[in-house]
Amino acid sequence: MTLFLEPRTVAEAVACFRDHPEARCMSGGATLVAMMNAGLADPPAVVSLRRIAELVGIAPAADGWTKIGGMTPHRVTAAETRLAGGQAIVRLAAGRIANPPVRNMGTIGGSISFSDPAADYPAALVAADAEIEVVGSGGGRRIAAQDFFVDWYTTALEPGEIVVAVHLPPAPRAAAAYEKLVKTEGDMGIATVAAVVEMDRGACSDLRVAVGACGPHPVRLRESESDLIGGRLDADAVARLASRLAEALDPVDDVRASSDYRRKVVPRMVARAIATARARAEGEQ
Amino acid sequence: MRGDEGMTTVALRINGVEHSVAADGRRTLLEVLRDELGLTGAKRGCNQGVCGACTVLLDGRPVRACLSLAAACAGHEITTVEGLTEGNELTPVQQAFVEHGAVQCGFCTPGMVLTATALLKENPKPNVAEVRTALSGNLCRCSGYRKIVDAVVAAGGAR
Ligand SMILES: Cc1cc2nc3c(=O)[nH]c(=O)nc-3n(C[C@H](O)[C@H](O)[C@H](O)COP(=O)(O)OP(=O)(O)OC[C@H]3O[C@@H](n4cnc5c(N)ncnc54)[C@H](O)[C@@H]3O)c2cc1C
Ligand code: FES
Ligand code: FES
Repeated sequence: MTLFLEPRTVAEAVACFRDHPEARCMSGGATLVAMMNAGLADPPAVVSLRRIAELVGIAPAADGWTKIGGMTPHRVTAAETRLAGGQAIVRLAAGRIANPPVRNMGTIGGSISFSDPAADYPAALVAADAEIEVVGSGGGRRIAAQDFFVDWYTTALEPGEIVVAVHLPPAPRAAAAYEKLVKTEGDMGIATVAAVVEMDRGACSDLRVAVGACGPHPVRLRESESDLIGGRLDADAVARLASRLAEALDPVDDVRASSDYRRKVVPRMVARAIATARARAEGEQ
Repeated sequence: MRGDEGMTTVALRINGVEHSVAADGRRTLLEVLRDELGLTGAKRGCNQGVCGACTVLLDGRPVRACLSLAAACAGHEITTVEGLTEGNELTPVQQAFVEHGAVQCGFCTPGMVLTATALLKENPKPNVAEVRTALSGNLCRCSGYRKIVDAVVAAGGAR
């Protein structure tokens, strides 16, 4: 028997986990129900977040930050043109997830809570310098995306905590590019690269690059990035960052590609993502 | 909504008709449709969200019935292939599938037809690329896709 609970508020949802500590949270259900169908999960209770109105939608704030509610489906995020500048990285990643029916079901809160390293949001959120807002019985807190994705399928969420929103800092003069290498369109990535670039009269004034699907969590090297700030993003400098990123990866051999292959393609993907983001930042497209 | 021992009574609106079904919290919409209501148009392929054979429309948008808990579908309008027309009439999409020979074994057909129907509502004259993108989550093991794509493009009247 599985109890089906439909709290109307975040506070009610948190209370559900006090009453049913073994319960599983459900957002879109596209992963949770698949696991239940496969016998990999058999929760005594499912806490559906579907009826919590405050969790849905994308809202720009006056200070330039943008809030994406945890229950916002990928379809909505992929179409949200207000996710512009550097924030566009999240829209671009959302548009590459699976296929239209799965984008109708899956949500940003569910995706990042499950934290599949091959999923599209983790690298995008790390490159966006996003903060994840979570609420539990002890109250709410915000976690930097970089600290949220801890290990294979493991996040910084404590038991009973739920993701309620993702917050993106402003980056109006930056531009973004997302590279996803797939065996077939709609599949999880062999490797993904999320890049945010800001240029100021030919010099790089902001650079953030995260690599996904190549280890337990996205990889970003802030120190190596800062070596490029103030410079002209010439090919050598970009290649140095790209090869340091490739060295920092911990890719596996799996059904999609070998570990060696991933290390080989990532530097090229990094260079391409930076070049595309730069061209967009400089208004070439 | 919650009854004894986890059994829920769920009110589902399917093809315009209200159904009251008893469902354990883990029961999927696909199980309710096929096993309880005899609506076998939605097929059970992978039961993992991958193949699209179980596609139904939820408030007009294609979703996986195999990944939808029935209890979570209350309050939404569900459309299965059985609900597209009354009697023996065919919709323009169905007619185009017949005319283009887009049906072989038929297992993928209900999901294809529903996904295409939703596409044409949003984008009445899609081109080949748009049709391919929209149908990219629906697998067909027989046709090679060509005739299905042709049928949907023709149903939209483009080119
Ligand atoms: C065929 C298929 C292809 C896919 N391809 C891709 C792809 O290419 N790229 C990609 O990124 N993803 C892909 N996905 C994953 C999908 O897009 C969703 O991101 C995924 O299903 C999780 O989102 P959900 O809302 O469905 O989460 P759910 O299934 O509802 O939940 C997932 C997990 O997170 C927990 N959880 C849910 N919500 C919360 C919350 N708010 N707080 C705390 N815990 C929570 C649940 O208990 C569960 O363990 C694919 C899925 C399918 C079925
Ligand atoms: S049976 Fe639902 S997607 Fe395959
Ligand atoms: S016609 Fe047989 S699977 Fe498509």
